[in-house]
Amino acid sequence: MILLFAVCLAFSGMTLLALAMKRHQPQILDRKLPEPRARLARWSGWACLAVSLVCVLQVWPTGLALFMAIGLFAFAGLPLVFLLPYQQRLAWRLAMALPIASGALALVSA
Amino acid sequence: MNGSFRQSMAWLHTWVGLLLGWLLVAIFITGTSAYFREEITLWMEPETHDSTLTPNTLDMAVAVLNDKASDARSWDISLPSARHTVAELRWQPLQQRQQQGGGRNRGESVSMDADSGQVVEPRDTAGGNFLYRFHYQLHGIPREVGRWVVCLATMFMLIAIISGVITHKKIFKDFFTFRPGKGQRSWLDAHNATAVLALPFHFMITYSGLLLFMTMLMPWGIDAAYPENRRDFFSEVFSRGGEEAQRPGNPAEMVDIKPLIAQTEAHFGKPVTRIGVTNPNRDNAVISLRVDRDPAITARQRGGDPVQVYNGVNGELQETLLPSEDPVSPSWRIYNVFTSLHMARFADPLTRWLFFLFGIAGSAMAITGMLLWANKRTQQLKRDQVPGSSLKLVNGLNMATISGLMIAIAAYFIGNRLLPVTLENRGDQEIQVFFLVWLAALIHALLRPNRSGWQEQVALGTVLWLAVPVINVLTTDSHLFTAVAWQHPALASVDLVCLAFAGAGGYTFWRLIRKPAPAKHAPRKKPAKRTAPSTTAPAGENS
Repeated sequence: MILLFAVCLAFSGMTLLALAMKRHQPQILDRKLPEPRARLARWSGWACLAVSLVCVLQVWPTGLALFMAIGLFAFAGLPLVFLLPYQQRLAWRLAMALPIASGALALVSA
Repeated sequence: MNGSFRQSMAWLHTWVGLLLGWLLVAIFITGTSAYFREEITLWMEPETHDSTLTPNTLDMAVAVLNDKASDARSWDISLPSARHTVAELRWQPLQQRQQQGGGRNRGESVSMDADSGQVVEPRDTAGGNFLYRFHYQLHGIPREVGRWVVCLATMFMLIAIISGVITHKKIFKDFFTFRPGKGQRSWLDAHNATAVLALPFHFMITYSGLLLFMTMLMPWGIDAAYPENRRDFFSEVFSRGGEEAQRPGNPAEMVDIKPLIAQTEAHFGKPVTRIGVTNPNRDNAVISLRVDRDPAITARQRGGDPVQVYNGVNGELQETLLPSEDPVSPSWRIYNVFTSLHMARFADPLTRWLFFLFGIAGSAMAITGMLLWANKRTQQLKRDQVPGSSLKLVNGLNMATISGLMIAIAAYFIGNRLLPVTLENRGDQEIQVFFLVWLAALIHALLRPNRSGWQEQVALGTVLWLAVPVINVLTTDSHLFTAVAWQHPALASVDLVCLAFAGAGGYTFWRLIRKPAPAKHAPRKKPAKRTAPSTTAPAGENS
């Protein structure tokens, strides 16, 4: 369950990182972001990935966990890449909803 | 090869990718299946499905061994696991045939139904092992040659990865970029996305693939240090701490194994998976109880499961063996980490699934690369220009390796269910089905290297993958509508993955029959539609 949370959080992190890039801002939010906002998005994106990594470290021994974390980030990133041109708004909504839903699920089952 | 460094790297990437791409796609797809090779083998032996571990399994196993080989030199019982439903009983007969070459004598073995105690004889099949072996030594050519070919392809894969990274102009800027409906551009984006995002995996799998070939690639070091016999190197480095078989003693009553198992399970805190008995029914009988080792990927040796050894007559604990705690040299650690990662040796089901997905991403990368090559050259054709024979050849080979291979694998599974169980050399016949179907797909692809050819192959692939679970319903009692398949999730998973492939194939087919969207920058598409068939095919069935 904690792994599901980690993947969802990685998805949010990836979306935020994309949001920090000029090219993807209109795709995700329909408008450009001012630079401070973009910077905020970048930092919160990295923060999400860091928390996600901490979660993954709970599941596997450190070496394997580092490798698997990179893999999980990739698997959070791939759907995002293919979601952005088709369903832009959905990416943002999922980035908001998924960590909350999976986090709640993880807490309930724990 | 004029121009800048990056241009020459692009040249290298393009042509290395093209020449070895077909082989690499096949290696990637079959290798991906290898993460589930035991599950596939299980699925392909339906005779073994109706068997689950019970508290009596061990007693029945001992009874069967007493019946068949009460005076054997040794017994070995593998209890069922999540990936294997029956108990495997092996024994070494007392009168061992002299083996030439000092190879390990495998002795004799039977499979036993774990809840009825009956001996089961599963149908003759190579199962998932065929696809697994194909991915590192191909088939039908001498093993060494096949391994060398795969090894060379792996080396070029490493070159393709490195040159690809250098060629890619804007790795971070294009990190999340996918622009659909733009022909070549879209293929490049898809190739980049699958390559860049999963780059650590691609690098790991390729580099560790080479490491696994290490002793074959560079045997000179071993030859220098062990000039007499290369086998000495392997027995020194990979030794399992073999138990020397003693002379059999006098007949004697053996201790009940069950309490010992409870003791060992309490000691290690996990279930006993293997039971070995040396000199069974003798006064010098020795019982060793083995549990699975921890999934640490830096383990020193391939074997090295924790074991407790008991006196087989009075049940006294003799010793407890743990995997060696010796300091491991850094190079050995690296070798171990990479090769265990390659084979997902630490193996919990979740990790296995993730690696399976990684493998699919790798296949998708190779496939999109191949399609990109053909698509680029198709778009470069002038109006009314007919694709040349080389482009046709590339298109045909693309089709044969991508959709053709997927068709052949589905046919292999279907052959497993439909070939008569009593057929002579049945396992080989299944493999023949695989290659005959693949050959047919190749011939078809070379005859119709165009969009309609893709449509036909993808349609056939979709039907076949859909047919696998359906035929399973008709021919076995362990299909998706029975409880058995769900008791052993491995079985249900195989059927569900087949359905998922059928779904992906159906989607691909739908994309293929849709009229291609008129690209803004390519007004030539319309008049040229008949003469210059587009090779656009969304990323293969397995992506």
